[in-house]
Amino acid sequence: MTRQLHSNSRLLVLLLIASLLLVACVAPAAPAPATGAQPAATEAPAAASGDVSREDTLIFASDTTDLLTLDPGAAYEFSGIQAVGSVYETLVSVEPGTPGVKPLLAESWDIQDSGDLWTVTFKLNSKATFASGKPVTAEDVVYSWSRAIDLNKSPAFLLIDTTQVKKENLKAVDAQTFEVKLPKAVSPQVFLSVITSSVAAVVEKALVEANLGEDMGSTWLNDHSAGSGPYVLTSWEREVAITLDANPTYWGTAPKIKRVIMQNMKEAANRQAAIETGDADIVQDLGPEQKKALEGNADVKTVTASNTQLVYIGMNAQKAPLDNPDVREAIRYAINYDEIITLTQGDAKLVQEIIPDGFLGHTGENPFKQDIAKAKELLAKAGWKDGTEIEALVPSNFPAGPIDFPTLATKVQSDLEKVGIKLTLKQLQVSELLNVFRAQGAQMVFILWGPDYPDPDGNVTPFTNYDAKSIAWRNGWENKEAAALAQQAAVADTDEARVKLYAQVTELVLHQGPYAILYQPLRTYSLRSNLDGFVFDPADTPNITFALISKK
Amino acid sequence: MLRFILRRIVGLFFVMIGVSVITFFLAQVVPVDPALVALGQNAREAQITAYRHEMGLDRPAVVQYISYVSHLVQGDLGKSIRTRRAVALDLRDFFPATLELSFAALVVSICLGIPLGMLAALRRNSLTDALARLVALVGGSMPIFYVGLLLLGLFYRQLRWLPGPGRLDATIHPPTAITGLYVLDSLLTGNWPVLQNSFAHLILPSLTLGIFSTAVLLRMTRSAVLEVLQQDYVRTAHAKGLRAELVIWRHVLKNAMTPVLTTIGITFGSLLSGAVLTETIFNWPGLGRYATTSVTSLDFPAVMGVTLVAAVLYPLVNMLVDISYHLIDPRVRTN
Repeated sequence: MTRQLHSNSRLLVLLLIASLLLVACVAPAAPAPATGAQPAATEAPAAASGDVSREDTLIFASDTTDLLTLDPGAAYEFSGIQAVGSVYETLVSVEPGTPGVKPLLAESWDIQDSGDLWTVTFKLNSKATFASGKPVTAEDVVYSWSRAIDLNKSPAFLLIDTTQVKKENLKAVDAQTFEVKLPKAVSPQVFLSVITSSVAAVVEKALVEANLGEDMGSTWLNDHSAGSGPYVLTSWEREVAITLDANPTYWGTAPKIKRVIMQNMKEAANRQAAIETGDADIVQDLGPEQKKALEGNADVKTVTASNTQLVYIGMNAQKAPLDNPDVREAIRYAINYDEIITLTQGDAKLVQEIIPDGFLGHTGENPFKQDIAKAKELLAKAGWKDGTEIEALVPSNFPAGPIDFPTLATKVQSDLEKVGIKLTLKQLQVSELLNVFRAQGAQMVFILWGPDYPDPDGNVTPFTNYDAKSIAWRNGWENKEAAALAQQAAVADTDEARVKLYAQVTELVLHQGPYAILYQPLRTYSLRSNLDGFVFDPADTPNITFALISKK
Repeated sequence: MLRFILRRIVGLFFVMIGVSVITFFLAQVVPVDPALVALGQNAREAQITAYRHEMGLDRPAVVQYISYVSHLVQGDLGKSIRTRRAVALDLRDFFPATLELSFAALVVSICLGIPLGMLAALRRNSLTDALARLVALVGGSMPIFYVGLLLLGLFYRQLRWLPGPGRLDATIHPPTAITGLYVLDSLLTGNWPVLQNSFAHLILPSLTLGIFSTAVLLRMTRSAVLEVLQQDYVRTAHAKGLRAELVIWRHVLKNAMTPVLTTIGITFGSLLSGAVLTETIFNWPGLGRYATTSVTSLDFPAVMGVTLVAAVLYPLVNMLVDISYHLIDPRVRTN
């Protein structure tokens, strides 16, 4: 009996040691680098008090793998901007569905021609306050923009390059008046569009300066917020969820939803289950199978939103045989666009011009339809020898919206074969492909483009201006006329004038340009049917305004 | 004993050096630029240069490696290229989730596999044995993702008995972090709602992950017990009139446990590293999911961090198994 006891206790000791060692594996890691995340951990329980009911909570489930930062000066990813845009505000914003900008933190603005510079003066709304209760001042605006320029993270080029804002040209005239000077080459219209982006959002200077750390407060802003928007950041549990709570002191219309949880859900099948069961109120991006499964479900409604991306084929105009405009035109006529749209199972919109649907200047005209005879005729004119090979680079690990690039490229390959063009597909990791493409090294490429800011210029300049070293350059296409038209359109002072000029440049690029634009991907949102006020605006920052959503 | 442990630790050190060299230089030969991956196609040239400089990617590979190792010995795993956070911080956030899941899966497979294996061996060729062997066959051959989807579809979507993917309901905040294991932390802090919720969330993924190792343990236990049953000392024990239960508990099971223990050790190691699929299906924010995201974004400091953790864990678990032999089996001690 004693022996038995003895061996039992030995086993017990063994188990104890094992579990202690296991805990020890974790324990040393836990307290050591505590400084960074400790505040989040200690604050979480306070917010978890359960004061917000499920009815007042909006659960938004999407794949937020792209999420890197919640610092408005650094965020440039879809999920990051969606969260940051709900917490911080910009001087002006976009009115869903209408061109131009409307007041937000600035109640009015004035553009003056002061010789060799534009002077833009903003009058701030005196009611605007931060979540802390302090007023939003011109000093905060100067600080926020200077900070974004100094940080120089992914979105900083919008201020530094696109609008050429310099720190010395920012001025707080008085508490309510903010002034910025811009070079004449910059269009004030484009400038106003650009500053609706979250990089130009206003942070509370005093609060950020009190928490600078080693990186101008970036780390601190990942777990705290210093904004004036309808929501405040309560917690960011990495890879799991972001919790936003209604700003109790919001100076505008108080949001109806008290808490928004942006949940990271990578698998589409999980998102489908979450919307079916009501565990989520909104899910983003469902595949065709999931959408089909949800059809006829009275609890769920589906909203299709257009993305501003364009999936296109780039044809290097400096590499034979694509240097011949007739060959490029023949390729555009050889493609069966309708079948490509069918391939996407309706998750894409046929667009053939360089300005996407949702932006000023989009014409909605799609002149190309598969016409084998015409394509062959154009090829004959160009002296085409049957079976001449063209090498196309295809991103291997990157979605072209609803389908993947290799699927799309194979479809185009079979279309081109019908007119005697032999396409060799070379699949590359996307960053490797970009390395080649950026150095003008691709003969043909399957790729997509998304504008940097919600203005037609965000597409037209890169697509037409060789000197901008963007897409026109990468595809070896230099056309002075197109570049000049684009520049005029950017600085034209009325929307009508811009639309007219954009129509001209669009027409020119359609037939002479080095692109075959295939489609604009669509995004699917599924919502619980008791939800009201959901709007997706491709031009707005953020695309979805949580504060407008309510539950029945 | 002490010398044995020391020797193992020295060995571990060399394993780490080897792993770090291999992963580091593998990352170098991949013809892709992590800066481009991180910044995307619209990044300006100046930004890419600044980013490479910030991350130290503009230095020669050997210099990068030396700097990496010199930081490593100070416990600094470097900064993730993707998240721009300290890799150690990322690992601290994600490792406990994997540990909790693997541990739960191990508990599942021990509680199911060993008793079933014993029963099958003791009632060899009975219906029980046939059933147990069927369980082993099915459990060992069913793909994890299929089991996971099946369980989720049945118990979450159809019956609504158990919660869906994730470690907690979206509306529930995690408990105050002590170990990072939600069940343990909520138990320690007396947070009952979280305990209940995290436990419920653990059931399906741990079953999914544990089903394969259950099959392995079942088979191993069955054959080990069968083998011991044929030993002379068992026959002697029976012959001297010992009660059947006593023979089984004292002689058979104890002796059969040595190979089973080895299997448990190996299984736990593979559970830790094999949780990737389960984590994907169950939206489990663990190391496996972190590793796959890091690999696809060529975030090699993060990949190296994960690899090193795995490289340390596996021998560590094996060492624990070896130590437990010493405690459990006197024959090992006298050697």
